[in-house]
Amino acid sequence: MQSSAVNSSNNKETTRSITFAEAVREALSQEMREDQDVFILGEDIGVYGGAFGVTRGMIEEFGPERVRNTPISEAAITGAAIGSALTGMKPVVELQFSDFITIAMDQLVNQAAKLRYMYGGKGNVPMVLRTPSGSGTGAAAQHSQSLEAWVAHVPGLKVVQPSTASDAKGLLKAAIADPNPVIFYEHKLLYKTQEHVPEEAYTIPLGEADVKREGTDVTIVATAVMVHKALEAAEKLAEEGIDVEVIDPRTLVPLDEKTIVDSVKKTGRVIVVHEAVKRGGYGGEIASMIAESEAFDYLDAPVRRLGALPIPVPYNPALEKAMVPQMDDIMQAARDSVHRR
Amino acid sequence: MAKEVFMPKLSSTMETGTLLQWFKQEGDPVEVGEPLLEVMTDKINIEVEAYEEGVLLKRYYDEDEEVPVNGIVGYIGEEGEQVPEERPGTEDKSEPESIRETPAQTAAEQTAGTEKVEGVRATPAARRLSRESGVELSLVQGSGAKGRIHAADVHAAADKQHVRSTPLAKKEAQANSVDLSAVKGSGSYGKIRRADVTSQSAEEELRSEPLQGVRKVVAERMQQSAGEVPHVTLHTEIDMEAAMELRTQLLPVIEKQTGERLSVTELLMLVGSRALQKHPAVHASMTDNRITKQSSVHMGLAVATDRGLLVPVIRNTETKGLAELVAETKQTAAAARNGTLPGKELSGSTFTISNLGMYAVDHFTPIINQPEAAILGVGRMQEKPVVIDGEIAVRRMMAVSLSFDHRIIDGAPAAAFLTDFKQMLEQPYQLFV
Repeated sequence: MQSSAVNSSNNKETTRSITFAEAVREALSQEMREDQDVFILGEDIGVYGGAFGVTRGMIEEFGPERVRNTPISEAAITGAAIGSALTGMKPVVELQFSDFITIAMDQLVNQAAKLRYMYGGKGNVPMVLRTPSGSGTGAAAQHSQSLEAWVAHVPGLKVVQPSTASDAKGLLKAAIADPNPVIFYEHKLLYKTQEHVPEEAYTIPLGEADVKREGTDVTIVATAVMVHKALEAAEKLAEEGIDVEVIDPRTLVPLDEKTIVDSVKKTGRVIVVHEAVKRGGYGGEIASMIAESEAFDYLDAPVRRLGALPIPVPYNPALEKAMVPQMDDIMQAARDSVHRR
Repeated sequence: MAKEVFMPKLSSTMETGTLLQWFKQEGDPVEVGEPLLEVMTDKINIEVEAYEEGVLLKRYYDEDEEVPVNGIVGYIGEEGEQVPEERPGTEDKSEPESIRETPAQTAAEQTAGTEKVEGVRATPAARRLSRESGVELSLVQGSGAKGRIHAADVHAAADKQHVRSTPLAKKEAQANSVDLSAVKGSGSYGKIRRADVTSQSAEEELRSEPLQGVRKVVAERMQQSAGEVPHVTLHTEIDMEAAMELRTQLLPVIEKQTGERLSVTELLMLVGSRALQKHPAVHASMTDNRITKQSSVHMGLAVATDRGLLVPVIRNTETKGLAELVAETKQTAAAARNGTLPGKELSGSTFTISNLGMYAVDHFTPIINQPEAAILGVGRMQEKPVVIDGEIAVRRMMAVSLSFDHRIIDGAPAAAFLTDFKQMLEQPYQLFV
């Protein structure tokens, strides 16, 4: 997948295009070079480089003490990370597939999310849990889900869902610096997308949405891979005279409500798109937030949500594609909004 | 105290009336004598006027609903007065007393009155714009799904409100529900004057109107008859010289008796009545697959009125002479044209004559007035060359066409009827036989 709108960057002298996966690795490496407390742990992240090769080469630079291969137990990995974080380390966990977060759920929900509160602020859990999510790779029902709404529901966990390489780098560095547990989703289809990513260290604060495209007719709030589908749809809709604004919240928790509300106040129409199943998905949260906000009185069309069908992700590639919103679906929703249907 | 509006009893046989249209909305002020609603009975439709002054508080029936005679169709009273939510029963006259309002209810009703647009489908943005611009949403036409009002609709409506017009033009436009923004102003700087509005409203009336009233009844009956009944039409030409001679001689006699002039129509009615009695097969009707042979002739007469086709009925024409027929026919036709004919005089005919002889119509195929078995269409009388005994002569000829229901009558008896009819007119002395 090509990220079209963003990589048409202008500054020629610094144009260095790297992939999303490389950007994540660069963020990890830069943090580890800078701060001895930062270390990574996960299944096969050493010589093998992790399920998607993100940590490839890191064990050579940082050694097995700081790039720790673990047994196959998500609960144990997460629990170990929480424990070390409490003692002052800054662990970055890699879970091979975000579907397996369910196994780490007790550690995340009852420990990571709660300890700072339970200790009255005397202890922190400055950990990051990185995990690949989403469908589109033919990995079937148990390796393709988008369960970000589960963790977004739990107070005490921050949730990041970047859509581009440069965002991933800046956000991961902010996540590592954050004193609270952060769940950092990396969409599998985005790993190979390339764009210009500045080489120097930089952070993107958690809770700042990014307007990926400015427009006046309809706002599309999209996350992860849907940002790119929304941008493609926006280009095509422009030919029909529909001027689309695309907003990537980048972090679900905390959510940059202001950017979304301001945009909806401007356009009067909004479509929320995510790959996760629509029912109970985070889009419902965003849609409700808009309806409760100051933007309500500016809404000139029903708030629309696009999400996956409430079914297990099919193995069949055609069905897998049919399950999640595609560019045509986004275009149609935008047309319906603008043409008062 | 709110006063009921009743469904009037417009004839002795009327049991229900169909509410054709309301002229007033709930909440509209009403003056005594103003038309309130239109009611249709058997065939006639009548505007019911208000007997009270006040505000139309409630409408219990929608258009096209049947209402029993003396049923309460609505209430007129003072604004905010309490009336029953549900349609009251018809029999209990004391019912309106029982709904005498409690003060608390009245207060609640009045505060609720400020939230008038609650039933309007509009987006939040449209509602905000409506509040800001003062455009009332209930007056805005929604362009969205299910008529939903969007911001653009409110903008458009707000723009319309800035149309320049004289106060008189505005009033005229309101009265005739003319959209001022669509009117081209002829005044200075395009200001709309009253004349602009009146010409516009006249134009708009031409464009379309809902199918209702007499037009609707005619439409339904014609469609039903033309669709259901296998029509066969027989044509013949009648030499009218003898009949016209008879008319010339009887004209002063009848005028002296009735003050009215004998016309061909009455002659046709008389001859038709006789012919029907001689041919009972033609004098029949069919309802619910039963053929009824009629005895008394009740002659329906198609009359063109401003409101459309009416068929007033002259009863027992077989017992009546020409003078009586003339008097009754003229009176009834005039009443039909004025819309003052009682409903019962518009129903119950057993045969119908439709005379278009006053127009340049040679002959036409009439549609049967169901449930009758036949109808006679009469064309104009014209001088024509005809051959009589090998000689060409100029005679006043008149074409008549008999459409009959082939389910009820066969061709031969219908032809026999028409032949007799023709002969009686060509040789009027046969009437004495």
